[in-house]
Amino acid sequence: MVPEPLIQALQMLTVLCAAPGISGVIARVEARLQGRRGPRILQPYYDLRKLFAKETLVPHGTSWVFLAAPVGAMACYLTVPMLIPVLTSFDLPLGDMGDILGGGMILGLASFLVAVAATETGAPYAQLGASRVKTFGAITEPVMLFVFFTVALVTGTDKPYALAATVRASSEQIVRPAHLLAAAGLLLVILYETGRIPVETHSGTNEFGMLEEVRVFEHSGPFLALLRWGSTMKQLILYILFINVFVAPWGLAGDRSLLAVALAILALLGKSCVLGGVVAVIDNTFAKLRLFKITEFVAAAFLLAVLAVCTLYFGGG
Amino acid sequence: MAPTVTPPGTYAGVANVLAVLVLLSEFAMLRAALLRAQMRLYAAQSLLVSVLAAVVAWGRDVPELYVLAALSLALKVVVVPWVVMRQLRQTRTEIAGSGVLGVASEVLVAVVVAVLAFFATSRFHIASPALPTTALGLAVAVIAVSFVLMIVRRDVVSQAVGFFSLENGVSLASLVVAAGLPLILEVAFLFDLLVAVVVFGVLMRVHHRRARSLSTEHLTKLRG
Repeated sequence: MVPEPLIQALQMLTVLCAAPGISGVIARVEARLQGRRGPRILQPYYDLRKLFAKETLVPHGTSWVFLAAPVGAMACYLTVPMLIPVLTSFDLPLGDMGDILGGGMILGLASFLVAVAATETGAPYAQLGASRVKTFGAITEPVMLFVFFTVALVTGTDKPYALAATVRASSEQIVRPAHLLAAAGLLLVILYETGRIPVETHSGTNEFGMLEEVRVFEHSGPFLALLRWGSTMKQLILYILFINVFVAPWGLAGDRSLLAVALAILALLGKSCVLGGVVAVIDNTFAKLRLFKITEFVAAAFLLAVLAVCTLYFGGG
Repeated sequence: MAPTVTPPGTYAGVANVLAVLVLLSEFAMLRAALLRAQMRLYAAQSLLVSVLAAVVAWGRDVPELYVLAALSLALKVVVVPWVVMRQLRQTRTEIAGSGVLGVASEVLVAVVVAVLAFFATSRFHIASPALPTTALGLAVAVIAVSFVLMIVRRDVVSQAVGFFSLENGVSLASLVVAAGLPLILEVAFLFDLLVAVVVFGVLMRVHHRRARSLSTEHLTKLRG
């Protein structure tokens, strides 16, 4: 029997340790799709080690906020895995700390901290990136809200654990259109939030293809490493939300035995790699859009989420 | 905690998903920039309606719907797109006329219209033995969105596609409210569609010969 606090800690540790690896897998798949050999899967870990060994440079005139932001963002990304079903299908003691809105707010707080640090530097490029991310982030909010409404209408709560349990409960739940539409809408938001489509290029340095990346241009050394690590963790957290709550909440530990928890970790890694591969395929199949076409992309996601609520509200879809 | 909205069952769920896909393909037509893409989407939508008819026939044991499904498959998935595609090949126009609004605004307007359709049909309290009520709301939403498509697009082909898909919405609605509708009436509807195809074909041809384009923007005078 593994004590519950330990499982709770394991959830955080799994996300912390696996996140760069998932990014490595995606980069590898992407390279293969483009006919390149690609970097090692462990490359993100080597990058982080390199960055941690470097010195920290701070721009003139910045206050303590500049250095506190990466640490704060990392703390946020470590908090969210406590609130969502990462390894277990039963509620863990701290899982009641916040609902799905609370998790969203903590993710938003992390992004806000990074944006504040970027504006703190006074560098025009970083500021531009921060303001773009915040502007376009605001237009995905309504989509997320409608997805949350769907969850609330389906389960009667806004707990991620409750939706996962409902999906596991019956096959009727899986084929109902509201569930499928909400999952599709969420997938579009995740593609957007992790910088896959519609505009961002993941590996290039083309300035129009960078929204998230330019915000951290003034950071260096261990703090840059924390920010990079944080963004891979955000990606994995969103993947887990999609997999373990909406699409495939199977393979989670049903009890506290060591074997079940170990299997759950392996299942999580496998499912995340599969989703990462799918995302890489989607990313490489569609052309990037111009910056101001983002609204078209988000309008599609919004349509899916609104239809999900409509089918539920007018007729029990 | 008990779910607030109980799941409708597997049959109703599958039927609803098909109906939702019909509505989504209508929205995709609204976004599509290429005429060919619009036509393909229309064929896909018709296919979905036929599959839904077959599902109802199987699930609710209405054998004459199989005939309807086969007829609409032959006519709307094969014949109509083929005829229109041939016309398009002759006119050598590929890009649909731009809409009056941007794509994002078009979609938002259509979402509002679709939600209105949902509100309107939810007042009727129609319980159908064949399909869940959601499908009726979706059917009316398809009809409403196809009106938006005809209004905001400024080329003949988009307007024709809008009209044809309107008919898809109507057949979806008829599956809900009158699945056992006499077959002869349904067939009459389908031949109505054929007449529309002929009329729109002539319109496309004449308009293209006069204006050298398929855009309706040139139609500013009452007499040519």
